[in-house]
Amino acid sequence: MPNVRGFGIPRAGSYINRLPLFTRGVLAAIVLFEALCLQRWWDVRAWGALVPEEIEFATLYRTNTYPFIHLNVFHLVFNLLALTPMVERFENEYGTLTSLALFLGPFSTFPAFLYVGMEKWVFGLNTAVMGASIWFFLLAGIEAIRTYRANPRLVIAGQSIPTWTTPLAILLAIAVLVPSSSGFGHLCGLVVGYMCGLGYLKYLAPPEWALRWIEKKLNLLGRLPHYVSVDQKTYGRFGVLPLSNLTPAPVVSAGLVGMPYEFIGSDSWLILVIASALRLRRDPRILKLPPYLSLLCVLVGVAWLFLLPLNEYSRRTYISENALLPGQVHTYFSGSDQNVFRAYKHEVDALVGKTNTERNDKLESIVKGFGLKTARQNFTYQAAGHFYSGENLYAILQAPRGDATEAIVLVAAWENVKHEINRKGIPLALTLLRYFKRWSLWSKDIILLLTPDSIAGPQAWVDAYHDAHDPFRVSSLPLKSGLLQGAIAIDYAQEGRFESVHIVYDGVNGQLPNLDLINSVVNIAGGQMGIGVALQEMWRHNDGYKDRLRTMLRGMLKQGLGLPSGPHSSFIPYHVDAVTLQPFGDGWQDEMAIGRVIEGTFRSLNNLLEHLHQSFFFYLLMHRERFVSIGTYLPSAMLVAANFTIMAIALWVKSGQPEDESATSTVRTDTIPAPAVERDLFLPLGVVTFIQSLSIVPLYLFNHAPESMLTPLFATFTLLNILLPPLLSHLLTQSSAPTLQQYHLIKSFSLLLLGMFLSSLATLNFSLALIVGVLASPLSLVRPSRSSATRAVTTLLLNPISPPAVLLAAAAYWGTDLTSVLREAAVGWHVCGTYSPVVVWCVWWPAWLAGSVVVLGRTADGDEGKVKTA
Amino acid sequence: MDGAKATPGRTAGPYVSAAVLRLAILTLLPGLPDLLTGRVEISTPVTSFKRLQEGLFLYNHNVSPYDGGVYHQAPLFLPLFSLLPSFSSFPIFTYLLYIAVDLLSANALWRIADSGEAGSSALFSSPRREKRWSGFVIAALFLFNPFTVATCIGRSTSVFTTCAILHAIAKAVSGAPFGAMVALSFASYLSMYPLLLLPPLILLCYDRQRSERATKSGLKFAATCLSLVAGVLAVLFQMSYLVTGSWEFLRSTYGVQLTLSDLTPNVGLWWYFFIEMFDSFRSFFLAVFWLHLSSYVGGLTVRIRRQPLVVLTLLLGIFAIFKPYPSISDTSLFLAMVPLYRHVFPLMRHTFVIAAVIMYATFLGPAFYHLWIYAGSGNANFFYAITLVWGLGQSLLVCDLMFAVLRDEWEVERPEMVGKEIRQI
Repeated sequence: MPNVRGFGIPRAGSYINRLPLFTRGVLAAIVLFEALCLQRWWDVRAWGALVPEEIEFATLYRTNTYPFIHLNVFHLVFNLLALTPMVERFENEYGTLTSLALFLGPFSTFPAFLYVGMEKWVFGLNTAVMGASIWFFLLAGIEAIRTYRANPRLVIAGQSIPTWTTPLAILLAIAVLVPSSSGFGHLCGLVVGYMCGLGYLKYLAPPEWALRWIEKKLNLLGRLPHYVSVDQKTYGRFGVLPLSNLTPAPVVSAGLVGMPYEFIGSDSWLILVIASALRLRRDPRILKLPPYLSLLCVLVGVAWLFLLPLNEYSRRTYISENALLPGQVHTYFSGSDQNVFRAYKHEVDALVGKTNTERNDKLESIVKGFGLKTARQNFTYQAAGHFYSGENLYAILQAPRGDATEAIVLVAAWENVKHEINRKGIPLALTLLRYFKRWSLWSKDIILLLTPDSIAGPQAWVDAYHDAHDPFRVSSLPLKSGLLQGAIAIDYAQEGRFESVHIVYDGVNGQLPNLDLINSVVNIAGGQMGIGVALQEMWRHNDGYKDRLRTMLRGMLKQGLGLPSGPHSSFIPYHVDAVTLQPFGDGWQDEMAIGRVIEGTFRSLNNLLEHLHQSFFFYLLMHRERFVSIGTYLPSAMLVAANFTIMAIALWVKSGQPEDESATSTVRTDTIPAPAVERDLFLPLGVVTFIQSLSIVPLYLFNHAPESMLTPLFATFTLLNILLPPLLSHLLTQSSAPTLQQYHLIKSFSLLLLGMFLSSLATLNFSLALIVGVLASPLSLVRPSRSSATRAVTTLLLNPISPPAVLLAAAAYWGTDLTSVLREAAVGWHVCGTYSPVVVWCVWWPAWLAGSVVVLGRTADGDEGKVKTA
Repeated sequence: MDGAKATPGRTAGPYVSAAVLRLAILTLLPGLPDLLTGRVEISTPVTSFKRLQEGLFLYNHNVSPYDGGVYHQAPLFLPLFSLLPSFSSFPIFTYLLYIAVDLLSANALWRIADSGEAGSSALFSSPRREKRWSGFVIAALFLFNPFTVATCIGRSTSVFTTCAILHAIAKAVSGAPFGAMVALSFASYLSMYPLLLLPPLILLCYDRQRSERATKSGLKFAATCLSLVAGVLAVLFQMSYLVTGSWEFLRSTYGVQLTLSDLTPNVGLWWYFFIEMFDSFRSFFLAVFWLHLSSYVGGLTVRIRRQPLVVLTLLLGIFAIFKPYPSISDTSLFLAMVPLYRHVFPLMRHTFVIAAVIMYATFLGPAFYHLWIYAGSGNANFFYAITLVWGLGQSLLVCDLMFAVLRDEWEVERPEMVGKEIRQI
């Protein structure tokens, strides 16, 4: 229906001026017939009306003429007003020829026959009808079915009404309100309209190829004014109404413009879609899209992350491995064991200040006293100019019910990662081992590992346990047990009682233990013992959105750094699930409580029939009982990585196009798409390779410099890093004067590499990939510029997101000492094999450098242009 | 003919630097060779250096090298490697041998490039042939291809096959059918599958015969070549029999390739398929897979009759995808041949996509293998999925190269269509 709101004289005039040919014809014919009625000697009404009794073979013309004839002027005016928009719309959709054929044919005769048949033989009456209102109802019926398909129901005052019934309402209203109107005649029109709308009468429409042939032969389009071509809608045949096929319709109209060939038959739309897709491919606007698309990828990727803490996106944790049965056994570690603990505590307190060997002598004598086999292992690592050396002591409690094929490890380091002495953890571990020795239910060996520190010692021991150690630095283990099934480390440095237990679970390089292990500890501590559990140093957690988000982000940051976070970290790369338990806070829980938690966890691990594998290895915890799994969070990192690849592809395509008209001297005809310009690959490949190989320098320097040199070195490097892009850019412009295309290619290759590395990395260490991806994402949006001011501004904006600047800012924000950060990175690199430095220096930094060089790049053409304007 | 005129210094440049690079990696990074030798992407059951050492140990202790079912390589490797000083005490000699083999391959490639066969064969001259890279560039691209370097460092024995194939082609283009056939026999003896290269190679030899002693009759020429190959192979088999003292080696070397009895993962498409296969269908699908592999030979040879070197290149690409035990060494051989077609590069349509797919697969492959084998957080499907991508990248390259070459031929036939868009169906 035309929009009535903005009705006015000019609009009405333009509307009438735009009426298509057939509509004008029909209106004119109707008016003409009305004019004919004015004369006296030929009763047009009697001649043309549809009178059931009069219908014979010779008077069949009546079935065609009756719509043109009206009872009186009012009848005429109302019908014209109602009919004009409907016919106009119909014609614009289906073409003049089709409308002509249909309105003079089936649209008149079918309702007529229906009416006559019903009136004569069913009702036995003989009411004459005339008037164009039959067409109105017919078209209204088609329209109603169409509306019904798009919008099936209409809710009025709580009543849901099918939309196809609206013409019926009009019909009823008219039948009641307007005198001498033939409700039944209108109904016949409406019924035929419904059938047309439903597609039953499509077979009666004249064959399109015939119409097309006529149209072409007679050149109707050229000759007739206001003519609507059949081609207007190749699709607009009966029954296949455009509304029910919304998708192909616009494509068809777009694709048909200027197509040199014709398609016959209804299957042609597929070809048209392909043709228009090919056309779209060459559309220059397509090339404008990728920057927005890649920006969208980054934004969606980051926004996705912030949705994760919501209840809809995260899940409650659950125990997958049925064999674990956490918290199902009664724990007996209490009572008299407290006295044993106190005794050991005294012994351990006496050892503070002694050397590693002296401590081990004493501790070994205690453990030997349980009747266990013990052994020692020496190790020496060198990192950041320091030697990290020491001696591990370990004891194996052989399983009374096992065959020494599997083992669980209890770790207690003399110092935790903050270099506090594990004053209560060591005696607790000893007490627990003594207590475990008394039980006969162990089916797995229990290994007590006492290390001098929290990073190097466990790493040396695990490496040697799996024979993956460097024998020059780490000695082999004289005594071994079976496959390690799990490990629990105790870090109980605080004196006095505690409130809750903090589970540390991050492994080296962001690897995580199986979620079942954490769930078991949470279940045993929280559910069975009534001890609170905290994660990621969130000492207070209200399970609200903010706290969840904070927990998740802290976890991601730790994962991204990839540094070891406790004695358990070294176990995880060997596929040994491990956590560190850290009692904290001021409460009423004593060391026996944490002992019982460990006992319960060991009993659960003891139940395992196979390695923990049921639950997730890739997850983000946001509360002790809430997590998201890889399937939910991976898309955000992948989207961020994809943004680089999208830009790389876009730049590649762009580099293949002629730069502008002046650059290409050859004149091409517009009909043939310009073939890709030859790309000069050697210089861009060379530059990217050079920048990539340059990255070995910082990687080597920061991993091999002594600690005292680290900070000065870093400062120098940061300064150099600011100067490096202008220098490289200058050298590049001086030596080879690259073109814009080559700059595009440099950027394309660099972004391709970045996207590739990051998407590979996302499968290994999601958080690192996401962090680097987000920090590097501006690189995909910067571009070389002709104005030197823009270049300077962009460079200024790029500098704060350079890797050294970000490292500085992060160290300042968290208030940590830069030297210690660099030292920890070097230790992680040498001791644990952390690969985060590789990602920072060999993936991120070269991408940043290449991006900065491209931003500063001055093309040969650009300089010429400047000379001309100057 | 850039390389022919080049000064000795220029010629030696890439060889010396490639040798120095390899020696430097082998000596300065002592852990790397063993790491690469263990990678499934480089070492397959039929080319692994570790397995060769096992066979060598057995051979030196007068036990049949095929006992224990670890060694699946040609018997003549054993006397060759026992002639060298022991690998454990003097690894440098083994390194030098592998480096020399790489350099010999590069030399053969250089000669192929300088012959200009890729641009203008006996029956077809490309209108674009002027635009090509010299032998210098092509040899350097081969020598410094990371895949080639990794294969050399990983000491896979497929480098010998690569060398033999390249020499066979080099001999063929320089009009020495005898040498070509002998080299191809060696390649076939070492790896069996190069035998499928025989039809296009015979055509290449036939086209490039020296005019003074050319054989006109194609059939006679082919028969001579075939009998020559058969003769050389017979001699090699007889020598192998003398070395090992039994015919067992046939089953353990070629039999393994034919029946895929060792299902160690590799970058190919066979292993996963045959792990999943029910035993009753195994022989049928083995036949189907081999038939599929060999079916390309006839079709391509006939279709691109006018450019036999193209057929050889495309077949090498197809073998690198569909062989029973492919490795990145086969890809490096294919990638070594592709730059010969510099003149049709502008006709290729998906170069960037292909490069991106191959590079993505190169990085994601080891990552997924790590997740599967070491981290335990992935499974075999991860790695297999990425080998599918790897195969997809290579098959795209094969298709695109084929399209470009055919289009080049077609534009000579129909000059009016130059530059117009066409569709491959």
